[in-house]
Formats: sequence, structure tokens, C-alpha cells
Amino acid sequence: MTIQYWRQRDRYYRLVGSACSECGAEFFPPVYRCKKCGSEKITDKEMPQTGKVLTYTRLHEPLPGFEAQAPFYLAVITLDNGTRVLSQIVDSPDESVKTGARVRAIVRRARVDGESGQIVYGYKFCTV
Amino acid sequence: MHLMQSKERAAILGYGAYVPYYRLPTTEIAKVWKGGGSGPNVEKAVASMDEDTVTMAIEAGREAVKMSGVQSLGAVFVGTESKPYAVKPTSTMVAQALGQHHTLAADLEFACKAGTEAMQVVTGLVGSGMIEAGLAIGMDTAQGRPGDDLEYTAASGGAAYVIGRRGKDAVAVIDCSTSFVSDTGDFWRRAHERYPRHLSRFTGEPAYFYHIENSVKTLFKETGHKPSDFKYAVFHQPNPRFPVEVASRLGFTMDQIKTGLLNPMIGNTYAGSSPIGLAAVLDEARPGDKILMASFGSGAGSDAFCIEVLEGIEKSRGVNPTVKSMLERGTKIDYSTYSKFRDKLHK
Amino acid sequence: MASSKAYIASVGFTPIGDHWEKSLTDLAVEAARGALAPLGKKAPDQIIVGNMFSSMGAGQEHLGSLVASALGLSGTTAYKVEAACASGGSAFNVAYNLVKSGAIDSALVVGVEKMRDLEPEEVSQALAMAESAEYTQFVGATFAALNGLLARYYMEQHGVSRDELSSIPVLDHSNAVTAGHAQFRKAITPEVVSRSSMIADPLRLFDCAPVGDGAAATLIVNDGANVASKHRVEILGGKIATNEFSIYEREDMLDFKATKEAFKAAMGQAGLAPGKLSLVEVHDAFSVVGALSLEAMGFSKKGMGSKDAKAGRYSPGGELPINTFGGLKARGHPVGATGMYQIAEAYLQLTGQAGKNQVPGAKYAATQNIGGVDSTSAVHVFGGAA
Repeated sequence: MTIQYWRQRDRYYRLVGSACSECGAEFFPPVYRCKKCGSEKITDKEMPQTGKVLTYTRLHEPLPGFEAQAPFYLAVITLDNGTRVLSQIVDSPDESVKTGARVRAIVRRARVDGESGQIVYGYKFCTV
Repeated sequence: MHLMQSKERAAILGYGAYVPYYRLPTTEIAKVWKGGGSGPNVEKAVASMDEDTVTMAIEAGREAVKMSGVQSLGAVFVGTESKPYAVKPTSTMVAQALGQHHTLAADLEFACKAGTEAMQVVTGLVGSGMIEAGLAIGMDTAQGRPGDDLEYTAASGGAAYVIGRRGKDAVAVIDCSTSFVSDTGDFWRRAHERYPRHLSRFTGEPAYFYHIENSVKTLFKETGHKPSDFKYAVFHQPNPRFPVEVASRLGFTMDQIKTGLLNPMIGNTYAGSSPIGLAAVLDEARPGDKILMASFGSGAGSDAFCIEVLEGIEKSRGVNPTVKSMLERGTKIDYSTYSKFRDKLHK
Repeated sequence: MASSKAYIASVGFTPIGDHWEKSLTDLAVEAARGALAPLGKKAPDQIIVGNMFSSMGAGQEHLGSLVASALGLSGTTAYKVEAACASGGSAFNVAYNLVKSGAIDSALVVGVEKMRDLEPEEVSQALAMAESAEYTQFVGATFAALNGLLARYYMEQHGVSRDELSSIPVLDHSNAVTAGHAQFRKAITPEVVSRSSMIADPLRLFDCAPVGDGAAATLIVNDGANVASKHRVEILGGKIATNEFSIYEREDMLDFKATKEAFKAAMGQAGLAPGKLSLVEVHDAFSVVGALSLEAMGFSKKGMGSKDAKAGRYSPGGELPINTFGGLKARGHPVGATGMYQIAEAYLQLTGQAGKNQVPGAKYAATQNIGGVDSTSAVHVFGGAA
């Protein structure tokens, strides 16, 4: 599994998504083909690191490996270029986590493979 | 001559600090282990359960790079004693997150002074012309054994510095530094041990004071500087008392050290301690101000720096959050939450 | 291979729940035997198994050959079709198209899922596999979490209250009381929903379909099959459609485009106006998904799915009865089998065998089976019972 995540490290560390070379549309997660104009001329592009909360939930029953964090916030965030990312929101007062809240990207431990496996890092967000 | 000074002076082009969001009042620790009272410091900064030296170094590194405007880093050095991996460099993960690949990347370990020696190494690489600019980070998620005196102060945080050729936007020039070391076993952590061990009174006179006094006095002697030449002084802060005492012995006043004295509010951030103290000073300093910074690392040694603030400092204001603003953005936790965050509970 | 009409000749299914004594294969065989009865000793031309996560649930793949062999029908063309929670509906659609086209004359479709051998967190992991490993599972989001995000958005966008959102689970439980195969045969009130434990705020336990084991099967035939069946129902149309894979990739997260497209196409094939339907089996894996599905199929206006349910439009005797045996929430949701249960239920309704749950005079029925959060939707339309 570590390799599956390693492959995405620039996506995870820097929110590198896609930009269409023909119509300029931007996407996160990355795409193979432009969802606006259909072009296959796609390049990597770093997304804005700030945005706002479109909707959120507080998850009480998480996936295996995330138990220690529960309950934690997950949100669909609209980045400042209009693309959307699903992410945890951490280090933020409860009252600040709401629809429309401004957030910024940070890098955190995303998954840890037990006591001896690798640590995978990735984006999370916090309210500003 | 023991002074380390590059022919072409290197300068701080950008800096960024990091203090985690969570604070543990030391009364919480005392409640559990002494039935009341507090530690020497008021609070300590605690990394969350999904933070480590890598994530914190990335945050501080990003701020430093942003302020510097530097596109390409010739070096990424992370000084820390809390590497997430015993074998797998912290610095490559930081470099990747910063989009840097053609770079000399390494982790440095020297207890609490690995951050300042990272600054010296990058200064040397820049001064020699080998690189245009590099990143030096001092960052730790220090841990004390539950119930140990160290638990009151062992904290998380640090700062990052982009050091490069002195251009018109440079924040401060690193004029020179000294290092003084000896074989002194005041504090150590054996391989495979979870928590460090330390000797009690031995950590003071023969360790902290002896090495800092030597590095600073050497700096004074060889530059001709005296304490009154400096607007600010930053000393390594294992607790609130030692830096005040060493300042007094060396002829510095409380006024000179108070800006960089963060231990009462965040604890001892180990390799991050002197660098983040310097960041707090730079947040307030004016062009022309001279700063003395002297770190201490157990084992043992001290690096003393003479830094002069430049005009570029004014343009750097407001680019990054100040240390003060990071101290204000935080929330208190109790001992049980801290235990969960720092992996002291085993299921 | 002339195109002809395709029919459901028979169905078979197990009750849904905790089948501690029965394996994945036991369940599949039990349901399949019921559906195979009209064939006697003859084998169907193909056996198609709908299943989502037998690899995790039972450490087993290769279900086509496994089930064929267990039925004593080795030699038969057999394979598995997987489309997450829409596996059942998708397997059925493949079989339907093959039989209708005349490529084959008969097909046994078995939807099966073994969930109870897993611990709850393992079930969460298994269900999450319906969503992006790199961008959804990676951040720790469960399938329920995505629906929690959707539920808050839906409630905020359309001013839907907690009690309104509860109306479909309440309706499901009420319908399941008299459904013999349902997992939960107990009526509930909106208070039960709003006081149940929090799963993914605002979604609570009773907003979410339960975990259960089950299998359901149908025998699909055309006129070339020469199968004697007491009751048969014509498959009038069927379509699988897809949406942008993840909800956060969609311009409008509340627009269930897959369901909209699949429903439109299936009804078009049937040549039927929506008003003609006597009942619809809706994929309400979560309360909010039921509401958005009703809206996507055009039965409710945007934002009105739950409100219309609360007003009684979808209750027995209402304008358009839905989830006549309890839907996913109360009949149960053995993931890969769910679509096949819906179809079996439509068959019972149209052949007048629905007992106390019978919709009087039921003539046409539709089933809507979703995979992911409308990432896949399989809709089928039935009628012409004989």
C-alpha cells in the first residue's frame, strides 16, 4: 500500500492537480482528459492552498487505522480556483468549522502502517 | 582564530516559525505526578497526534521559502533529535514537499543544537559559493518520560531559515559564529530507547553554562563585541531559569533577552528552541539591530552567532504569521488528551 | 439471435440478517435453487453472480465457477459482475441484455453478499472500497462520511429538517413489519432516528442501512427458452449509467446524474410515462440517498424528496408506494445482493404474491440500484405480468 501512496506524493504534499492546456480548466484530483473541453493535453499544476468549506461532517465511526483520531472533521472544500478536495479539518476550534469557513492546506501524517511500517503524509486543512 | 566567518557573508533571506496548536499547562502534569503545583514553565506546546518533525518542518520551511522568494534551494538541512524514522531522512520528505530535488539534503543530530549547526552548515555552503541559497531547520517534538522533570518542558516547535547570498531584500546578515564542544554526558538517549535520560544538577554548570559561556566569550574576544553592542540576545531555553542566569553572567540584561524568551509559554523545543527564539526577535527587530544567539546541545556544545538586521526586514513584515500570533492561536488540553496525542497510551 | 422479449420466470431469496450457520456459497445456492425451479434439471445458458466484496467478506473470488459448481452445473458459462452496491442490478442488466438480444435464451442471476463474518470496522473498509483509494479512503472517509457530507449539504441547501430527513427510514421500517424476509420488522418513529447514535454528523445510525447477509436470484428467459413458469414478468427496460466517480468531482453534488440518466433510458425503452408506475424500489442506503434518488427520477422536485415522503406521497396507498418490503433501511442491504432483492420484490408485487405488502393492482414497477454515491446506477422497469 505504501507504494500506492508514494506515487501520489506530490498530489498529497502540494495539492498537485491537473490543468488543461487548451481551455485552462483546472482539476483536483488530477484527470486524464479535460472534463470541460475533452482535450487530452493535460499538465500537472499546483492548486491554491486556500479555500472554503462547502460542506462538512464529523465522523464518529472511521476507517480502520483512524480510530485514535475519531471523532474528526471531514469537509468538501472548494479551493480558490473552484476545484474541490475532500479533506480532514484539524487544529480548528469546533465553532470555526462550518459551511463557508475559510481554510488553508497543511501537511500531516495521513496514514501510519503500524509500529514498523512507513508513515504516509498528506494534505489536511485548518480554519483560518 | 576560532571565529567562523565566510569571506562573502551569507544572509537570512526568509524565516518561518512553527508552534503547534495544542498547549499543555504544566499544572496538568503536576496534578498527575505531584498532586498539584506546576512546572517551571506555564505551558508547553504539544504536537497533535498527526504531527511530527516532518510535518512541522514542512510548515516552517514553506513560510521561510515564501518570505525569501527563493525558487531553488541548494541545501535542505533538518536539525532534530525526534526523527520519525531512525533510518529514512526527514530532509528528503521536507524537500519533496517544497518541490526541491537538486539539493543537498541531510538530517543533523546534536540534541538541542542541531538547528543552529544546520544554520552554520548552510552559511558555509553559501559563503563558499557552493550554493546560492539553502534551508536550515531546527525542529523537534521532544518527549520526556512520563513523570520525569523533563516532561514539564519537553515541547514541540521550531523554525526554518532560508540562508543565501546577501541581496537587497535580505532580512539579516549572519556576520559570524563560533562553536565550542566537549565530551559531556549530561543528557542522552540510547538507540531503541523511547525517552531520553539526563543527570540532574550536572546539566547546569558543566554542561549548559560551561559551553554557552565558552562559545559566547570566544565570539566576544575574537570580534571585539561586548554585550551592549546587541539589541537582543537569544539563549537556548531548556527552562525559564537557565537563559536568564547565563545572560546575567555574560553581562546581558533582561531587556535584551525577553523578546526571544519563549520557554515559559511553549517549553523547550530542543533543536527548535534557539531558532524559534531568533524568529520571535526578528518579528520585532529593526534594521541595524544586532542579535546574539547562542544555542546549547547536550553531549555537549554551543554555537554562538552574531547577526545584524538589514533593511529587508521591513518588507518581510506580514508575509508570515509571527511567533506571537502562533502563541495566541492555540488551545489548552488536559493530560489525558496529551497522553493520547503523544502516544503514551497503549491499547 | 433476433431481439426478443425477456422475462423473469422465477425468483428465489434468503431472509436477510445474521446467517451465522451459512457461508457465502450456502446463501448463493439457497437463493439460486429457488430461481432455478422452472428449469428442472436443465442448466441455464449462463450464471452471472452479482457481488461486491467476497474477497474481503469471505476471502473468496471466482464466484461464477464456484456457484455453478456448487449448483452441480459446472460446464455452464459463469462469471461475476461487480459494481459496488450496484453489483446486483448490474449483473441483472448484463443478463437481461444477453437474453433480450437472443445471444442466449436463459440466465440465472444471483446477487450475494456475506457481511457478518466481518467486524464492523472491516465492513466499513470493505464498503469504502467503492470509493477512491487515493483521495477518499486516503483521508479516512468512510462511505457513511460521504453521505454525511451530502446530508448536511442537502439539508442546508433546501432547508430540510431532521424529522423530514427521517421520513424515509420511518416509512421503510413501517413497510417491513409484514415483510417475511426483512432484516428489521419493527416500526420506528422519527425520535428513534434522531436519538440513535451519531455516525457521520448529521447522519445517525437509523439514517444508515444495516449490515446483513443475504442472497437473491432470478431466472431470466426469452421465448426461445421454452420454460414453463406459473408467473412471469416482462423486463420492459434496463440501463446502467454512471456519474463523475466521487461526489467532490461533481458540479452539483445533489444531482444524481447516473440515476437520472438510467431511469430516463429504462423508461424510454419501456415506452412508459413515470406516472404509470405502481411502485418503485429505491436505493436508500442512507436517508439522504433515498431523497436524492426520488428527486433524480423526477418523482419529487429538488429538495422535496424527504418532505414528500413525510407528507405520505410514498406510503402504501399514497401516490407512488416505494420500498414496499422495507427498502435498504429495513429489508436490509446485503450490498451485492440488494439490487436483486429489489427486483425479486418487484416480481412479487407484479405477480400478486406480495402478501400483506401487496400494492393493489400493481402493473408496472421500477427498481433503482446505486453503487457508490450514485457513481453507478442500475434502473430496471417491469410489467406485463402473466
